[in-house]
Amino acid sequence: MSLLHRGRWITLLGLALLAGVYVRALAFTPVERLQGPAQKIYYLHVPAAIWAETAMVLVGLGSIFYLFLKDRRLDRFAAASAEVGTVFAAIVLTTGPIWGKPIWGTWWTWDARLTSTLLLFFLYIGYLLLRGAVRDPALGARYAAVLGICGMCLVPFIHLSVYLFRTLHPQPIILKPSAPSLPGSMLATWLFSLGVFTLLYVGFVIQRYALSLLWEERNGA
Amino acid sequence: MPEVPQNAGYLVAAYIVTAVILLGYTLSLYRRSSKG
Repeated sequence: MSLLHRGRWITLLGLALLAGVYVRALAFTPVERLQGPAQKIYYLHVPAAIWAETAMVLVGLGSIFYLFLKDRRLDRFAAASAEVGTVFAAIVLTTGPIWGKPIWGTWWTWDARLTSTLLLFFLYIGYLLLRGAVRDPALGARYAAVLGICGMCLVPFIHLSVYLFRTLHPQPIILKPSAPSLPGSMLATWLFSLGVFTLLYVGFVIQRYALSLLWEERNGA
Repeated sequence: MPEVPQNAGYLVAAYIVTAVILLGYTLSLYRRSSKG
């Protein structure tokens, strides 16, 4: 089975399991009393946010190693991870305000967490535009690698922004030094969703990597 | 005891948006690979 087909199958499995996440979250997970049904947006928003940030860390790591080793596989991986990270960042930036409106009473506020996440999205867009704008692929890969490393440096700031600044955004209730503050059934749904988003990330990246290989073969690069 | 807020519409909207983005990207990858 080719790399592209493998990626497709993993993605399809991820999408099928995502339907399972929807069913479990909507029908088999209790409604939080203070926030109401809108709290269940959390099961998609947070896994998407984790992968939007992790994807950028992987872009940065791939870029660092690419600059040292000049191995094109690393550049291909970084480009694939950036594109998939953009998709997850788009989910974060749409589901977040949809949750914020009923809970905070506003779609958006310029606090540190929201603003730095928007900056991450713009960095992703800049990274992808830069790759397309430079005609020499090797030069474009080098420029993009530098931007990818800058993006990676932003990620710890995004995660810590709720501790460093006074923000409207809630503090982590799972990814924190002490034990998660979610009841067991909610935590199980969240972990299921995180697993599915991980599968989707892997499937998407494999497909996007295989596409880069196809383009390079077609263009004789 | 406070009443549970009735905001299921926002939940449905967020779940639909997520599905549309993920399915849209899956379709985009499929179309690009078919062209290639």
